[in-house]
Order: sequence, then C-alpha cells, then structure tokens
Amino acid sequence: MTATDAIYIVDDDPITVFGIRKMLQSLYPDRPIHTFANGRQALDAVKAASDAGNLPEVIFLDINMPIMDGWQFLEAFIRLPIESPIRVNIVTSSIDPFDYNQWQHFKSRSHHIIDFRNKPLKREELAAIIRAA
Amino acid sequence: MFVGNILYVLKGTIEIPQDFLLRQLPHPTAVLNTRLEFQTASDSWFDFFGLLRRDVAGKPILEIFPESSPEWRQALQDCLRGKPEVSGSRHFIHPDQKESWFKWVCSPFFDTDENPAGIILQISDVTEGVKQEINQEKVRLMLEAQSENARIGSWWYEQHSGMLECSAMTQKILGAGEAGITNMEQLFLYFPGGFSRNTFSMAVFQAMESGRPWNEQLELLTPCGKELQIIATGRPIIKNGRQVGLLGTFLDITEWHRSNQKMRESEALLRTVVDNLPLNVYIKDLDFRKILVNKQECRFMGVSHPDELLGKDDFELYPEEMARTLQQEDLYVMDNQKTILGKESLLTKKDGSQTYFLTSKIPLYNEEQEVYGLMGISMDISELKDKETELRNLIEVTSQQNKKLINFAHIVSHNLRSHSANFSMLLEFLNQEQGEMEKRQILGMLTQASDNLLETLDNLNQVVAINTQVHLEKSAVPLRKAVQAVVKKHQATLARNQATVFTEIPKDLTVRVVPEYFDNILANLLSNALKYRHPDRDPEISLGVEKVRGYTVLSVADNGLGIDLKKNGAKLFGMYKTFHEHPEARGIGLFICKNQIEAMGGNIKAHSQVGTGTNFKIYINDRD
Repeated sequence: MTATDAIYIVDDDPITVFGIRKMLQSLYPDRPIHTFANGRQALDAVKAASDAGNLPEVIFLDINMPIMDGWQFLEAFIRLPIESPIRVNIVTSSIDPFDYNQWQHFKSRSHHIIDFRNKPLKREELAAIIRAA
Repeated sequence: MFVGNILYVLKGTIEIPQDFLLRQLPHPTAVLNTRLEFQTASDSWFDFFGLLRRDVAGKPILEIFPESSPEWRQALQDCLRGKPEVSGSRHFIHPDQKESWFKWVCSPFFDTDENPAGIILQISDVTEGVKQEINQEKVRLMLEAQSENARIGSWWYEQHSGMLECSAMTQKILGAGEAGITNMEQLFLYFPGGFSRNTFSMAVFQAMESGRPWNEQLELLTPCGKELQIIATGRPIIKNGRQVGLLGTFLDITEWHRSNQKMRESEALLRTVVDNLPLNVYIKDLDFRKILVNKQECRFMGVSHPDELLGKDDFELYPEEMARTLQQEDLYVMDNQKTILGKESLLTKKDGSQTYFLTSKIPLYNEEQEVYGLMGISMDISELKDKETELRNLIEVTSQQNKKLINFAHIVSHNLRSHSANFSMLLEFLNQEQGEMEKRQILGMLTQASDNLLETLDNLNQVVAINTQVHLEKSAVPLRKAVQAVVKKHQATLARNQATVFTEIPKDLTVRVVPEYFDNILANLLSNALKYRHPDRDPEISLGVEKVRGYTVLSVADNGLGIDLKKNGAKLFGMYKTFHEHPEARGIGLFICKNQIEAMGGNIKAHSQVGTGTNFKIYINDRD
C-alpha cells in the first residue's frame, strides 16, 4: 500500500474542475488527475485505490455537492483504514463559520493533513500544495 | 327661758331633792360656784365629756379643761359680774380621740339678796351640724373640681323673676365678661344665629311651657369669636308640684369633637384611597370571609355593592378547585403569620374567565398581637402578561427572521463568491492563453458562468420576494378544488409518467392560503414525486388531510426513491442541496416551498424511507 502521485478533484462545478485540472496539468503534466462530481463517487474511488494500493497523494474537496457532500465524504474517509497521511484540501467559496468549525473538527480527529482554502485557487498556491506533499 | 325653768324648779315647792332633779336634766348642764369650782352637773354633762363625778367634784373648772380659750375664761368672769347669757362654741377631743363640737352658754344665778351665787354652764352638742357644714363644703368643692375638669357649666333660671344665674364654669365656657349673663335673651346671643340659636331657644320655651327636657349638640360662638361645640341639656325645676324654673348644663366637647372629626376625616381619606386604588383590596376574617372589599374588587367580582361580597367566603365566590387553592394560601398566612408578597397567580372565576394577578397577603393583628384576619392586595397583570407573551412571540419571530437572514446572507455570499471565483479564474486563463481553440473554450465557459450567475440571482430574487411580501393576501380556498386544479394542470406530465393520484379530501374543507404559493408548493411536490420516482414501479401519489392543533395538514405521499433523512434531513429544504443524481435536480424547489409556507404562517415536514417513498406534510395555519 504505497502512495502514488495521483491527484483527486472532487467538485460538482465543471468550471472549477476545469480550472484546477488546467493549472495542475500545466504545472505537472505527468501526474494522473482524477475528477469526481460528488463525495460518493470519490469515496468509492478511494476505497478501490486503497485496495489496489494506489491511493492519491492530494485531494481537492468541494463542500457543497449533491448526493454526498464534502463533510459526509470526510466523515467516511477518516474512518477508512488508511495509514499514510493524505493531503486533503477543502476548497470552498463559503465563509460560513459553521464550515470553518467543521474543518477544525475534522482536522483534530484525523491523522490526514486537512487544509481549508477559499476559491479561487491560484497557480502559486497549487504549486505550494503539491510541493509540500 | 330654760334657765328660768330651772330656777323655778329650784325655788319651787315640789319636794324633790335639788341635786336629783339637776342630775336628770336632759341638756348637759353644770353648776359652778363663785370661785368657778365645779359643784354639780347633769348625768348628760358627764356623758358628753366622758368624765366621772368623783374626779371633778370641787375642782376649779379651768383645771378640768386646762386648754380652755382665753375667750371662755373672760366669758366666765363676765358672767360672775352679772352679765347674762354669754355664749360661744368650742372644739373638744374626747379621751378616745372622738371629735366633738359644742356650744356653750353661761348664765349667772343669784342668792336671795340678788348677789351672783355661781354660774350655770349649759352645753349643746353641735357636732352633727358642724360635720354637715364640712360635708357641704366638700361637696361644693368636689362639684367645682368636677365641672372644671369635665368642662360642664350649669345655669339656673327662675321663671317668676326671669333671673338667670350662671355657674362660674358656664361663664368661663361662654367667655362672658365681668358683667356676666343675667337673663335668657343674653344667653341666646351666645349661639350663632340659625340652627343652634333656634334649636336652643325653642328647647327653652318648650321646657317652660310643657316641662319637656332637652339634650342637643349645638354650636356656640364666644364674644372673642371662638367657635365651640357643646352638648346643651336642661330640665324644668319642680317645687311643690309647680314648675318654678329651669336647670341647664353646657358640656364643652370642642376638643373631643375636633379629634373625632379629624378621625372621621382620616377614616374617609383612607376609605377614598382604598376605594380608588387600581388594585383589588380585601380583608378576610379567621373564617376566610370577606369583611372589607374596595370598589375595584367589587368591579372585578361583577357586583355593584360591597354587601354582595361581605360575609362570603371563596367557596361562595369561586369554583371549588380555585377556592381550595385560595383558602390554602389564606391558611398559610394566618397560621404561620407569614406574608405572601407579589405572588403571580391565575384566578379563575365561576364564569370561567381567567385573570392574572400579582397577589400579596398580609396577616392582620389586633392590639393583643393576635391574628384576626388577613389583608389581600391584588394587581391585575393580565394586560402585562399579554404584552409579555406578545413581546416574547415578537422576539421569537425576530430572532427567527434574523437567523433566516443570516442564513440567507451566507447563501448569497457563498453563491456569488463561487461564481466570482470562477470568473476571476477563467479571466486569468484567458489572459495567459495563446491558443485560439483554448481561448474559445474558455469564453464558452465564461458564458456558462454568466448564465449560472443570472440563474442564481433569479433564484435569490424569488426568495427575497417571498420573504419581503409583508402583507400577504390570503384568501379562503376550498382545499379539494385547489388540489384538483393543480393535479389537472400537471395531468399531461403525470400521464407521461404513468402516475396515479389518489385524493382523499373532504369537499367542504377550506383553508386560508396565498393561492399562488399554495399552487407552487403542491406543483413542486408533485414534480418531485415524479422526478425521484422509483425505477421499478409506476408512481403513486396520495393526497390526504388531517387536523393537528390549529393546523390543517395536507400530506403528499409518494412511492418513490425515498431519502435518508438521518443523513440529509437537515439539508432537505436547504438551497442548492440535491440528493439524487438527477439532471434536473437544482436544489431550489423545496427551499422556495419552505419559504412560501413559512411566509403563510405554516410549516413543511418530511417523512421518508429509502426505497419506499416520501411523505411531505404541509401545515396550513388555521388562524389568521
């Protein structure tokens, strides 16, 4: 079970997905990028990857999504038996204190590196995130 | 004359021994010789002074009465020189300390040659007379003191002479001058003209004519202008069966009258205050009966006169349950001598009407410090209570509005920010992009972003419109007809989905709604039932109705996919929350429904089971 350098983008907004993907591709043209329209799809993918031993290194996670939102995804994700820490970046346009508190809550409960960022993500920011991973 | 009799006896021819005769004289009499030595005396004389014959025989009289006055000695000497009947009086204390007063008379007696041969000393006991005189003086002084203290003056009118005699106290009360008052006309003038003078003069004349006594409370006006209150009494004086005059008295009661008046005034003031307080005031005795009630209490109990409440206990005035509670309170106050202050209580009257009171109950003590009852003071705070409830409701509404507003602000902020984030990102790409193809793709996305923004603004506008419509025009709508109209309108869509609608709503049931909102809510729920239909069966939608505490509840139950409310309940009616992967799920319909039903004073709730179906319940407010 070793981490690959794959990157997940979980967002139901095609424009955001397009933007992040475009920036990542220009920065790291060789890294595999997978996109998911909601938490359920992403969770299924993570589970499959965990079984296959090719977990992603970084996840970009939107909060407001249909079927399973970002928080519901995190709730399930941190319960998965994954030992190596994965970098999860919550990317949202929300400034609701509720969401901020939720982030703090999850951060304290997990060994994964959970970060909170506001949209829009800048190219330099992305570069820094990936470099840190 | 008496002495003459004795002389006659002494000189007479009756053969009775002289001494024997003398002894039996009823009047105490003694005989002295010229040397003023005691010769003999009557038994009554010895009795009077308590002396014995053998002790005094031959002794000079001045030795027998050593403390005799010079006046008496002089009288005895004068008598020996022939002066007849010298008299005087003296005080004598008997050996047994008894006090006596006596009068004495000394008369000389003569021998055959007409020379003084001795003195006859006669004594008469005047003790009774003197004692009476002293008593009379005592009575006079006592009367004077009494009339002074009680301020009772008296007057005496002699009918035949028209003379009026006033006692010193009368003069003093009337403030009469030196000249005094000597006739009735003068006395009348001391009464102020009008009632007092008329009453007094009438009383006097009637007493003169018919002997009728009187007793009147009248006013007096003294010459120096002092107003007095007096009680004038009077009655005729009858002597030998004939009316000879009038005896009258004046009792000065000015002071008493004044303090009495003051007391009555303060009593009246207290009564006025108690009666006009905007509080219910009552006093109860040890048997819990009301013994005083004020006007407010009468008004509250719906009676016109206190008599309708006095003497009654709470069991006669309130429903039994209420009366028992009240009596327990009373018992607590009187038994423990404890005060209840400002207790909030709800009072139910016999007619069922209820009033909120702030009640105080205070034990009342008599002069021996024993509880004899209690005083109750209650303030009607119903209006205050209503205002409080109103205020609380208002606060609740306001805080709910506030919560909604904050929530809405977050929704707006979030949505606008997400769109603007996309714009800024896409614009940056456009700026840096060289390839025409790529540029065109980004422009297409910008157009898409712009459309999305417009749609979002449109949705937000709808929500704002619902929430800012202050005066909603509700109207009474027959529920079954309204439901059937919506179903008919969507008949084509329902048919396309092979859906069946069951309606079970009473024909005559009406609800007060904003028809436009109602139609939208129902249309939304029908459309959701079709949108989230179960892939394995044809949609069935049941419309039913029930009454729940002030609400008419319309239920819209489907047999669709259902939704996990445990996971998503909180978000079901949120904006842009979608739970199914449906291309038309926009996450705005239920959010608007909720806003619309809440704007009508109602509510919407969902019950659901995944795989079985969902039941939406629309609570339509029956009031207003």
